[in-house]
Amino acid sequence: MKKTRKEKILIVDDSELNRAILADMLGEEYDIVEAENGLEGVGILQKMGTELSLVLLDIVMPEMDGFGVLDTMHQNHWIDDIPVIMISAESGSSHIERAYELGVTDFIARPFDALIVHRRVVNTLLLYAKQKKLVGMVADQIYEKERQGNLMIDILSHIVEFRNGESGLHVLHVRTLTELLLHRLSQKTDRYRLTPGDISIITTASSLHDIGKIAIDENILNKPGKLTEEEFTVMKTHTTVGADMLENLPIHQHDPLVKVAYQICRWHHERYDGRGYPDGLQGDDIPISAQVVALADVYDALTSVRVYKPPFPHDEAVQMILDGKCGTFNPLLLECLQENSEIIRSGLTGDTQAQRDQREMRNISQEMHRYEELTASERTLQLLEHERMKYSFFAAMTQEIQFEYTASPAMVTISAWGAEKLGLGETVMDPLHNEGVLALMDPEWVQGLSNALHSTCPDQPVVSYDCQLNLNGETRWYRIVARAIWSADEPARYTGAIGKAIDIHDSRMKLHALEQMASHDTLTGLLNHAYAKKRILERIEGRPTASFALAIFDLDHFKSANDTYGHSFGDHVLTYVAEKLRQSIRGGDIAARVGGDEFLIFLEHKGDVEPVVSRIFESLCGTYEDFTISVSMGIAPTALVGCDYDTLFHAADQALYTVKRGGRGRYRFYDETMKQMLSVISPIDDGGGDAETASADQKGDGQI
Amino acid sequence: MTLQECYAAMGGNYDEVLGRLRSDRLIQKFVLKFVDDGSYQLLLDSMSSQNYEEAFRAAHTIKGVCQNLGLTRLLNSSSQLSEALRHGYTPEADGLAEQVGRDYQDTVGAIRAFQAAAGT
Repeated sequence: MKKTRKEKILIVDDSELNRAILADMLGEEYDIVEAENGLEGVGILQKMGTELSLVLLDIVMPEMDGFGVLDTMHQNHWIDDIPVIMISAESGSSHIERAYELGVTDFIARPFDALIVHRRVVNTLLLYAKQKKLVGMVADQIYEKERQGNLMIDILSHIVEFRNGESGLHVLHVRTLTELLLHRLSQKTDRYRLTPGDISIITTASSLHDIGKIAIDENILNKPGKLTEEEFTVMKTHTTVGADMLENLPIHQHDPLVKVAYQICRWHHERYDGRGYPDGLQGDDIPISAQVVALADVYDALTSVRVYKPPFPHDEAVQMILDGKCGTFNPLLLECLQENSEIIRSGLTGDTQAQRDQREMRNISQEMHRYEELTASERTLQLLEHERMKYSFFAAMTQEIQFEYTASPAMVTISAWGAEKLGLGETVMDPLHNEGVLALMDPEWVQGLSNALHSTCPDQPVVSYDCQLNLNGETRWYRIVARAIWSADEPARYTGAIGKAIDIHDSRMKLHALEQMASHDTLTGLLNHAYAKKRILERIEGRPTASFALAIFDLDHFKSANDTYGHSFGDHVLTYVAEKLRQSIRGGDIAARVGGDEFLIFLEHKGDVEPVVSRIFESLCGTYEDFTISVSMGIAPTALVGCDYDTLFHAADQALYTVKRGGRGRYRFYDETMKQMLSVISPIDDGGGDAETASADQKGDGQI
Repeated sequence: MTLQECYAAMGGNYDEVLGRLRSDRLIQKFVLKFVDDGSYQLLLDSMSSQNYEEAFRAAHTIKGVCQNLGLTRLLNSSSQLSEALRHGYTPEADGLAEQVGRDYQDTVGAIRAFQAAAGT
């Protein structure tokens, strides 16, 4: 990379004076970033990553000491890329030893000597720059070698095919199929212990399966008709000849690629039932490499044109193989073939994997040509750096609480704006047990969020979690939208999460207020009739065996109060009565304003309900300013009239009507005699019919 | 008062510092900054609130700064104090803290006098 900017050095030391001395000693050549304790240092490392070229690290510091920083750098593998020089007045050898064990590059003891500090920093930077360059060069070399190796094999196998008069794609097809089958096989079973490395070697070696054909007479090789027995005997030798060629290689005999290629050459015409050639091996005595290539070879032979036959379509070819018409194969491999059928159908006829690889390779080399001064690995680094810059720019601009959580080490980093909003540091270690975090978010919420993230899976990693946060003494609702991060290896491990917290308090409260408005009477704040009915029905349904009573009451002479004192006085009376009612009912009771001056009470009772009713009734009576509050009340118990709401309501209404007619200011329980009564509130056309129940319960009239 | 005389008054080692920092200007800059360093106040506060872990760190920081600036006398007492507090409170700590206090006052006094004489 071109050196267009100064290298950045992070100084982590709790003494400002010491940081200043160091910064001064390093001079103008570097950009200095300072942190006054370990935690802040870790936060900066998390944010800037390999943008930092070096860390100067003190040992004894508050919040997190130098060893803590080293531990974290170790766990995150930052120490692999960012060199650390430890600075300290601690000169005990155990300290130095521990620091070196944790991966520090050098040690500077106090007191600082300007020349030494400067020289060590320069040396370390040079050393790392060289190392990075070497790593890059090695990676590029390996890449180039691999490319050349594949190229050589392609050329070699093409020579064989050329002589064979084949299309030139056979080797490519066999290679692609081999890779597909092996990949599937390794997912299905551990029996063959196939590592990605093994798969790669077998795939490469598959190209060499027919090299023995070089030694076969061209007349036999390209004979259009059926081979004679004698000719077939010669043809069969291409297996052993190819194997011998590899075995007699003057060098590389012990190379895994050569060993695998030997197996493939020699045994790719063996059959699972032991009836193949040249050795008649049976079952898994045939190496898995040769078994797979044999299947791939047969499939491609079936689906390609040969001098002696037209190509078979994919489905027919697969069916022929499954039917055992072209040899016998390992049943597991046949399953792999079937399970990959769709991919093979589309993959081999059109764009093969190998062709795609080639195209990709060409693209990369063109790219590399364009960025001549960059090697491939440097370019990757540059892209990474670019993404990081983009991310931190946008994160800094949005006024959002964004966070990134890593499970190991347990640490959360919060966007600058978010950290200030929450009153937390930008880096918080062990957030699940951090006091600041737990003061902000109750432990149950924290645990709930953690559980929600843990129970995601790699395919569906996003969680939306509503919870309350305590911000500056106020509790507000937030929605946390987070994406769990799962590792790429199998089985995937939960490694952390990224996400943001959105303030949804106002919209949630608005919704709550709307619900409140829809369910409550605006004047008195009691439930409205519709909502009360809903609640009552829920209550009855929830406790079908319990006894309930529904009471309806209105205010006597309320109209005259309105007429005498005005409507706003009437409203005050209603509010006053509602308040009295609220005070006199029990926790589980339901009270509502039915409309006008009529109210409703719904009670559950165990024994006799009358004492409860009497108490409520009496507490309602009294005076409001000059107006004497007198109440008429009718009560219908479910024990008498059943649990149907309309019946219950109608019965209570009739009881109320009876009181009204009988002089007001009393309460009365419903009884059979009222069956034909009119109703006060809601005349029901033909209501009485279903109110009859057992014998009339003789409830006394209450009277004041 | 020259910087050298100031060092003599503080019980410091001027030549050693000059050997390391290599510039009179730098030494002067940091010595003047020393007066504003909060570590001593932190030491006092944490000693009186018996937060000995914090007190250890404060003494340790003073020690580090003194090493860098060659303030030998204060370095010795703060070094002893930090050892006495390294594994929590020990009875010697109180006496050593008082010694650090006296040395600190001497040091700051000398720097102030130098500052006044230099007219900075």
